[in-house]
Amino acid sequence: MKQYGNFLSFLGIAVLTLAISILLILMVGSNVNQAFFSFLSGIFGSFYSVSEVLVKATPLILTGLGVAVGARSGFINIGAEGQLYMGAIAVTCLAFWLHDLPAIVMIPMVILGGFVFGGVWSVIPGFLKARFGISEVITTLMFNYIAIGIVGILVRTMLKDPSSSLPMSAFLPDSATLPVLMSTTRLHAGLLIALISVVLVWILVWKTPIGYEMRAVGLNPRACKCSGISVYKNILRSSMISGGLAGIAGVCEVSGLHHKLLEGISPGYGYIAIIIALLGKNHPVGVVIAALGIAALQLGSLGMQRMAGVPTSISSIIMGVVVLLILARKSIFRRLLTDE
Amino acid sequence: MALLSMKNINKSFFGKMANNQVCFDLEPGEIHALLGENGAGKTTLMNILYGIYSRDSGDILWKGKEAAFSSPRDAIAFHIGMVHQHFMLVPTLTVSQNITLGLREKGYPFPNRKTLNATITEVSKKYGLQIDVDAYISSLSVGEQQRVEIIKLLYRDAELLILDEPTAMLTPQETEYFFEVLRKLRADGHSVIIITHRIPEVMSITDRVTVLRDGYNVLTAKTSEITEQELSQYMIGRQLHSIHREPILPDVDSEGLVLEEVSLKENGRERLDLPSLRIAPGEIVGIAGVDGNGQKDLVEVILGIRKQSSGKIRMDNVDMSSMSVLKRKKLGIGYISDDRQRDGLVMDMNLTDNILLKTHTDDRFIKHGLIDDRLVWEDTQKAVEEYAIKTPGLNTPLRYLSGGNQQKLILARELAGDPKAIVAHQPTRGLDIGATEFVQQQLLQRRSKGCCILLISADLEEILLLSDRIAVIYKGRIMGIFPNTEDLNLSNIGLMMAGRTPDVREGSL
Repeated sequence: MKQYGNFLSFLGIAVLTLAISILLILMVGSNVNQAFFSFLSGIFGSFYSVSEVLVKATPLILTGLGVAVGARSGFINIGAEGQLYMGAIAVTCLAFWLHDLPAIVMIPMVILGGFVFGGVWSVIPGFLKARFGISEVITTLMFNYIAIGIVGILVRTMLKDPSSSLPMSAFLPDSATLPVLMSTTRLHAGLLIALISVVLVWILVWKTPIGYEMRAVGLNPRACKCSGISVYKNILRSSMISGGLAGIAGVCEVSGLHHKLLEGISPGYGYIAIIIALLGKNHPVGVVIAALGIAALQLGSLGMQRMAGVPTSISSIIMGVVVLLILARKSIFRRLLTDE
Repeated sequence: MALLSMKNINKSFFGKMANNQVCFDLEPGEIHALLGENGAGKTTLMNILYGIYSRDSGDILWKGKEAAFSSPRDAIAFHIGMVHQHFMLVPTLTVSQNITLGLREKGYPFPNRKTLNATITEVSKKYGLQIDVDAYISSLSVGEQQRVEIIKLLYRDAELLILDEPTAMLTPQETEYFFEVLRKLRADGHSVIIITHRIPEVMSITDRVTVLRDGYNVLTAKTSEITEQELSQYMIGRQLHSIHREPILPDVDSEGLVLEEVSLKENGRERLDLPSLRIAPGEIVGIAGVDGNGQKDLVEVILGIRKQSSGKIRMDNVDMSSMSVLKRKKLGIGYISDDRQRDGLVMDMNLTDNILLKTHTDDRFIKHGLIDDRLVWEDTQKAVEEYAIKTPGLNTPLRYLSGGNQQKLILARELAGDPKAIVAHQPTRGLDIGATEFVQQQLLQRRSKGCCILLISADLEEILLLSDRIAVIYKGRIMGIFPNTEDLNLSNIGLMMAGRTPDVREGSL
């Protein structure tokens, strides 16, 4: 019963989600058949639409991975958004400062820079948590506002493109832009960076002594202390890596997609990342699947809006519903999951 | 007519019978012991009566009427009250507030505290349960907290009091005082059920005794018609191995574990102030004392989990006073904590990962910077076989192992690599008789291999059974150290555990 119970409960969530979606589509007065068709064609309709899913998934994978690494060692990172922006600042500054470097040096440089900027933005709350016990939930969230504010200032002052009246930077030098993977699409090498990060994080967290310590600290800090594993060091470590990955997401967005720094480069990727880590059970592979799923959901709903007139807000509602259902799964489907 | 009778009670957890056709009856005005080993089903039976668990089948008659309580609130309404092993008190509230907590007294929500206090004092005086009604729970000793729990029940007009291991945390003197209270309660017509595994207590206070073993009711008898030996045979089902300690090894060259006037101060409070103490190789020094008198501070200072304020700690002439926990462990100190789930294990990790807690930085497990899963797996498999750990597999999270098997895993980890010293804090807490014997045998084996062992236990019998020397700790100080000989004066040890210095000092340091 129990094995089936797990499966059935997820099936139940899928059915409930579907039912709610249909209800919402009917409420806005659209045709359900047409809505679903346009949803699917928004994702799989063309080569381009599939590539767009991957473009969208890239920052989600990186930020989701960051949140997941933090969560594994008990660092609840709500600040991936701000860390992403810090990574974006890093790549822009480095690219203009070192504009003479060839791409082969420049690209690793900006990735590293983004990692450090994002990492520092997260290690400060990490330090406050490890040293003084201040909740990282609050501090990382506050750091988002600061980082976004800094971007707002920079694109109006120091980094502003003098030839434009809009608050944005000039285009990055070519050496600092990531190559496009397939012509006629926007799919850039950021996806590869994200997938390499996934593999590296998996090795780090599951195969090395450092990763072992980080996981153990997340599960029982007290036992770690009694065994001589430093809780302090590991919180700093994991918060650094967590923020660094989100910072790389910022690098990829700027040098892969926008090629310049501007406000609003992230439509809340850093927050969706929390959902992705949750759905992916804080596992690198799970994060990739969840990121692809959410990216597809968002692009599908764009298609629905275009072709069936269903507002895209529906995708946010569905995302919220799915998360709630998954969190409440064990209580809703208690009968299925217990022996009785 | 019996006040309470429970007939053919069945209860199973996850397919394992915790109570199997158990019958139990209680006369009005008697003290009845429910005796049995850990896991025999005593607490389960009482939790069924008290409405915490629901029974699978069977009948409960209270005053001749069918009664099945679905919650403790129901049970209290029928004048049945229970004091759990771990007290249910709010430390930040006063005694009086705790006693009336949840009751809608006259004037609720603004009751007249003075009249309430008067009623409480009346109850407490009647049974000799002295207590300061305005004191905060956090400032009370364990014995006083127990009194508050009992007054709480009496205040709610409990006719039947169920006490789960009431003497576990008390000194011998406190226990005697507590028994006096029980006799007064009995004289006043109250009935008492004591859940215990201590036979001498059954003999000295109860009228009747019911013995449970492996979920079965094996005996109900008048206490006056049975002997201690018979009771222990009923309880255990076989003869106890008597543990034989070999004479201590002749002094070898190594120094052993030495504490040199170690003290610990935290937040201006003195938590430890110890004289110098040496544990020779092949010696077990037992620290007796009531829980919470600095035992935890002592072990954590030795392990380096907390830093001593002054003094030095040496292991075989190596000063490790300022070493990290990991370094001390690598130097050869094994640590068995009193709280294995919190301090010793990561419950959501599997067996191999829990072994790694100590060895994840060992070179032998690391290849090219990565942990070699196969080697760790083999190492764990060996530990599982050697220590006969019962587990569905090496990938099972520790959460799903029984307490005894969890403890065996800790032993396997901490005793691996022949440690020079072992700090064992309550190593048999919560274990059944088989696992307890196993742990004790392991400690004795290590002793004969020349290991220095510091054994800390609130269970005086365990200390007496295993130790070569016994030290008594009270409020972070050592009250006295005695060699463990036949003519040891137990009442002196009891007095010292309660913080009093006996007039005649015996033994020497």
